[in-house]
This record gives sequence, C-alpha cells and structure tokens, in this order.
Amino acid sequence: MGNEAIARGLIEADARVVVGYPGTPSSEVIMALQPVSRQLGIYAEWAVNERVALEIALGASIAGVRSIATMKAPGLNVASDPLLSSAYCGIDRGLVVLVADDPGPHTTQTEQDSRWYAKLAKLPMISPSNPQEAKDFTKVAFDISEELGIPVILRTTTRVNHTVSDVVLGEVRRIQQDVKIVKNEVRFVRAGMAWNLERHKWLNSRLRLAEEVSTKYSLNSSSGRGEICVLTEGVAHEYVSEVLEELRLEDRVKVIKLGLLYPAPRKFLLENLAECKTILVVEELDPFLEEQVKAILHEENVHVRVYGKLTGHLPLEGELNKNQVRNAIECIIRGLTPPLTTRSEHTLSPQDTPPRPPPLCPGCPHRFSFIALKIALSIRGYKLSEVPVFGDIGCYALAVYPPISMLWTEHSMGASISMAIGAKIAGYTKPVIAVIGDSTFYHAGIQPLIEAINKNIDILVLILDNDVVAMTGHQSTPAWSLSESGRPLRPVSIESIVKSISPDFLATIDPYNLDEMISIISEIVDRPGVKVIIAKHPCALLERRARKVEKKFYVDASVCRGCKACITATGCPAIVMEGNLARIILEDCNGCGLCTRFCPYRAIKLLQGDST
Amino acid sequence: MRKIVNILIASVGGQGGLTLSWVIARASVLDGFSVKTAETLGMSQRYGSVMSYVRLGDSVKSPLFEPGEADYILGLELVETLRRIHYASGSCVVIVADEYRPSYTQSIKYPALKTSDLVEKIKSLWGRTLIISARKLAERAGSVRALNMVILGVFNAVSNLLSRESIERAIREVLPEHAVSASLRAYELGFEYAQQAR
Repeated sequence: MGNEAIARGLIEADARVVVGYPGTPSSEVIMALQPVSRQLGIYAEWAVNERVALEIALGASIAGVRSIATMKAPGLNVASDPLLSSAYCGIDRGLVVLVADDPGPHTTQTEQDSRWYAKLAKLPMISPSNPQEAKDFTKVAFDISEELGIPVILRTTTRVNHTVSDVVLGEVRRIQQDVKIVKNEVRFVRAGMAWNLERHKWLNSRLRLAEEVSTKYSLNSSSGRGEICVLTEGVAHEYVSEVLEELRLEDRVKVIKLGLLYPAPRKFLLENLAECKTILVVEELDPFLEEQVKAILHEENVHVRVYGKLTGHLPLEGELNKNQVRNAIECIIRGLTPPLTTRSEHTLSPQDTPPRPPPLCPGCPHRFSFIALKIALSIRGYKLSEVPVFGDIGCYALAVYPPISMLWTEHSMGASISMAIGAKIAGYTKPVIAVIGDSTFYHAGIQPLIEAINKNIDILVLILDNDVVAMTGHQSTPAWSLSESGRPLRPVSIESIVKSISPDFLATIDPYNLDEMISIISEIVDRPGVKVIIAKHPCALLERRARKVEKKFYVDASVCRGCKACITATGCPAIVMEGNLARIILEDCNGCGLCTRFCPYRAIKLLQGDST
Repeated sequence: MRKIVNILIASVGGQGGLTLSWVIARASVLDGFSVKTAETLGMSQRYGSVMSYVRLGDSVKSPLFEPGEADYILGLELVETLRRIHYASGSCVVIVADEYRPSYTQSIKYPALKTSDLVEKIKSLWGRTLIISARKLAERAGSVRALNMVILGVFNAVSNLLSRESIERAIREVLPEHAVSASLRAYELGFEYAQQAR
C-alpha cells in the first residue's frame, strides 16, 4: 500500500520522529510503522491533533532529528498556523509535512486541493504518482528540506495512499543526527518582530532555489515527443500513460510529468515545452498547474494554447478517470470542442440496485445514545424537528441516516459544540444539543466547551466516548495507557478534563443502560446551563476483537410477525428481512440486545449454548 | 498493447473484499506480475457497499479501470455484484457467492428480494456466471468469514493466473494468524469445487 511505502521511505530516510492525527487516507503510514518503530528507534505516535503533531515535528527538527507530521487534507487546515510560521523559521534537520488529499471525495468533507498550501506557505511541494514514487519521494523530501533549510510538503491523493502495488525497496540509510538546539531569536521568535520582514525575504530566497536543488532528484520527467503536450502530475499521470498507450499515441504526444508541484519548475518546463504548440494539463482537483504554467508562459512571452479544467476539457469537480482523460486527449488531437460524449464500450448498462449506506455497526454504543436522546426528547414533548443536534466528525455522523436520523450537522472537528453555542446566542429558545466523540473532543472539543461554560450557554453536550478513534481504523486516544507501538502512556480522562472546567451538570453513563440514559437526558435537557453527559462504552468492533462476543440473539420465526419494528427502531445491519420475517445474521450479532426492547411480540431471544 | 487482467471485487463492508484484493495483489507480486489495487469504500468495516479493483500484468500504471473493462468480477454478495455488473468486459467471467445481504434501508423500505431472484437476474444478464455456494464451503473450511477465500479458490481454478504457492504465502502474510488455516482450507475447497464443476 502507498502508505506502507511511505512508512518504508521514512525508515530508509532515517526519520526519527513521526507524528500525526488519524485521517483517511493518511492513517496507515503511522499504523504501518508502529509495530516496528520502537525497535528501530523511531518515535511513531498519534498526537492529539494535527497542529500539535506539526509543532512536535517542528520542535524535533530544530532539535536536530528528521521529522514528519502526517494528516489528511482538513488536518492541514488545523495545522496551517504552525505551517506558515515554520516556513519563516526554517528547519535544522529535514521536516516533511505529509498531506493526503481525497479527490472524489471518498472519505473527506470537501474536495480540498492542498496544493494551494504550498503557494500560501511558500514551501516546496512534491507529489508522487504511485506507491514506488511515494517511497522514493519521501526520502527526497527530507533531502530537499535539508538542502533548502525549509519544510517540504509531501502531497498525496487517495489513489496513491491506498493503492497496493509492487515496490522495489531501497537502502536503509543511517544519518548522524545530533540532538542540539541553538538559540536564535531571529529564527524562532515571530509575532510582530522587526526581523520578520528579513525572514520573509530569506524564505523567498530559499524557495527560488527549489528547482535547482531538486533537479538532481529527477522528480520531473518527460517522455515521447510531438507538438501536442500533456502536462500532468500524481495519479493522473498513470491515466495519461495508459490512455496514450491504448490510443497508440505514445509517439505523437509528449508527456511532461511534474513531481515538484510548487514552485513549478520553470526552467524544466520551458525547455520541455519548447516544441509544443498545444498543452493539455491533466491534474486532479483545482487547475493548480494549469494556472502556474499559463503564468510562466505569459511571463516568458511564449504563445501556446493551454487547455485543461479552465477550458472545460476536464471537470473541476470529482476524481479523474481514464474515460475523462481519453476524451480530453481526443478533443485536443481531433481539434474538437468539449464535452465529447463518452463512448459506451460496455455491453451492460448499470443495473438498478437498492442503495447501501453505511450504518452504525451492530452493538454500536452510539446507537443506544441516539435512541436514548430520541426517546428522551419525545418524553419531554419536543418534536425531533425542533431540537437541533449539532454533530461532529466520527462514526456517530452515520446517525444522519434513517431510521435514526438524529444528526443535523457534521462540519469540522469540534464544530458541534461551537455551532450549538452560536444557535443559542442567536436566540434559539428550544433545547440545543451537541454530540461529539471522545477523540474529536480531545482534538478540538475542549476549547468550545470552555467557551460554552464561560458564556453560560444553555446546551446539552453528549460526549460519545467509545475509547478509540473508531472511524479511521481504531487508533489510540489520550485515554490509553499503552500506545500501538508499545509505549507506556499516562491516560488523560475526559471526565477529569470536563470536571475541571465545572459545567452545570456532568454525568458519565454507560449508554447500554438505556433507561438510565433516557431518564437523565429527559431530566436535564431543558435545564439552564451547560450539561455534559459522557456516554462511555467501548466501540463494539473493538470489544468484539478484544474478547469473544458473549451472547447472541436470534429471531424465533414462529413468533415473528414481520412487523419490522426491530429494524425500523434500531437500523441494526445484523437484522435482515427474509421473506416476511426478520432474521438476525448470527456472525454479525454483537449481542447488545437493543433490538429485543422493540419487538412487540418478544420474538427476539437469547441464543443458548455455544456462540462464536 | 500489453495485456492487463482487470479484476473487480464487489462486496459488503466487513465481508473481506479488500482482504481478498490484497491477497491477490501479494500473490501476483510473488509470481512476478506488476500489480495495482484501488478501492471505493467510504467505510469498509461498516456494511457499506465496497468495490475493489485489482489489475495485474507486465506493467500496470492506472489503479482504476472503467465499466466494460473487467475480465473477472468476483462477487461476495449478490446485490453488490448486480450493482457492478456493468463493469464486465465482453469476455468477463462473473464468479459470485450465493450470498444475499439485504441492506437495512432495503429491509425498511423495499419489498424483500429473494436470493433465487437475484441469482436468476445475474445469470440472465451475464451468461458466463458461476454461482458458488460459498457460505457452505466456508463453513466446511471452519469459518463463514473465509467466504472470500472460497471465491479466490474458484477464481484461481478458472483463471489459472496465480501459483498455488504464492497464494498460500500471500494468505499467510496478509491474514491474521488465527484466520490462516480456515482461509487456506477455504481456498482449497473453492479450487476443488471449481475443478469438479468443469
């Protein structure tokens, strides 16, 4: 997998500090390292959020060791503050920021194009096209960072991070890395200082050297020849190569592939575009290279037509695919105006099939919390349509889907509490609820809770604590006592954090005790002040892995009347309708028993005897 | 043009569709192929719709392929196979478990489908379809969760692409230790089943 290749690249580059926050599609870099990191003398751990991760990596770099911070695209927004400042102070040992973008978007809230951060922070950015380059470029990123004295952004996309491929391993280098910190106020003291202007000039002077310094690493390449030129980067290059091969155009079209995305390698581009009459830029997300190449050509007074996203040859949204690339190339070759209708090469048309949105897992404690909330609000006479539930980022966002349908927003890390505060300040008179997971609370929920308490806001905050970063593949939280790498940790409890800022009400409840949860919520929901309930129960998948499922339930077919109450109340994916009766898929049942409460005929029964 | 074999794996999250793609990929590398995989998942552990791509050949560049380009469709579930059937190329072989997992939304809203109707629908759409009683074979192998490896066995018997040694090693390297023996057995049962069916 591309992320494993990056992990290998980190070992080959002798990186010593690897920190990040989990986020698809970036998480497997740290996950792949952790089983071997302590043995290799690498610090590979999760940080509480991305900005902390980047600041740790920066601190390690100026203390003399090669460091990297890993994150998904929105994570770089969180870390953007230290990113911009780190460009001014520069580094001592290589500092790399890995950001994984997600064209599609498959698992991300926006189709953010993090390439703009290179321009914004004035930092060099390199980007691989495949897992092999992911490994190789990781090493190069450290070398360039050290040669230029500034951080380097390694930017990937899902189709590189998550692609499994054959990768040729390289040598593992050991680099002398002496730990020392040299006091230097001009470099390290920022806000409002007179020398910041000088540091800005210094940064620009370093950035100007980027192309020259990177030349020896062959990040950029060109192949084929012809007056038509395709300029590309990342996985789009792989689509371009195959399309040209399929169209037998390898000898008529020149392909220029950039690995250094920012600053665009001016000299390389001008040399390689010298013969070109037409340029098609094939890139994912925004017309980032398209704009850069146009600017360069304009500045050099070269008159070549540049096509791409801005001319409608390729879409501005969504992930690219081979068909789109083929169409764009054919439009250019045949001098046609886009859009070109896609040829239908397949014999079958897509079949009409029922959708399958991802539900909360069987036994998920969040299901209990949301159902308790729903029932408690009804008991208090509120309509579900008048009590906004501000959600946050994590598995519990799946409660947006029916039949639970209890989530109104899912915005950015920590936004549940802050947006709920806003709604109250605006004057919303009915109760307002914020729902946030444990890891998201540590990440970005603490400050908004301080805000709520400080400003005396009337809100109910449910902290859904399942003891793990579940959505991204079960990473550790600050509540753990041992990290995945085997490092002893000192657990930081959510309860003591919340207690220390004194909300008006605080209770910790196991949501599996549904009745207790219902009664507490209904009791406090419209009380004044900040009410916090920590709904604490481990992730069902985690529990299942830790120990066998102790009990399972089945539907007694002789009693079931097929009323579907079990499914419409819980939305548990382990219950299916077969014919006119409900059936529990035994291997999926996690034994929570929630469904038994909703069967009016008591048809759901505990399975006796061996259950595996 | 160099030949690339395109394999599409259609599954429900949690069935082991991604694991199957990784086993095929690793075995392919061991057998000297160039290989690339990709997936569209969202949340693969969570009962959503999962599609994985595996491409192997002399030199594979793109990790994705388009509808109409699959040489093999390996289905771990009937509705998911139907959802991806238009990926079949003209010579595609569809290998699908007779496993029906209604989604919970379907159980709420739609009339219940029947396994036999789904099987007939797929067969009527695509002649070169093998319906496999994969659950039974996986149970016999020791774990219903090894259903994906039954399909791998059938696939390799039909395609003859990968060596038995490489698959065995790939299973040992990709799967957790406790799942290895049932997975190896499931592979064998799938392989034998396909050979007898010929």
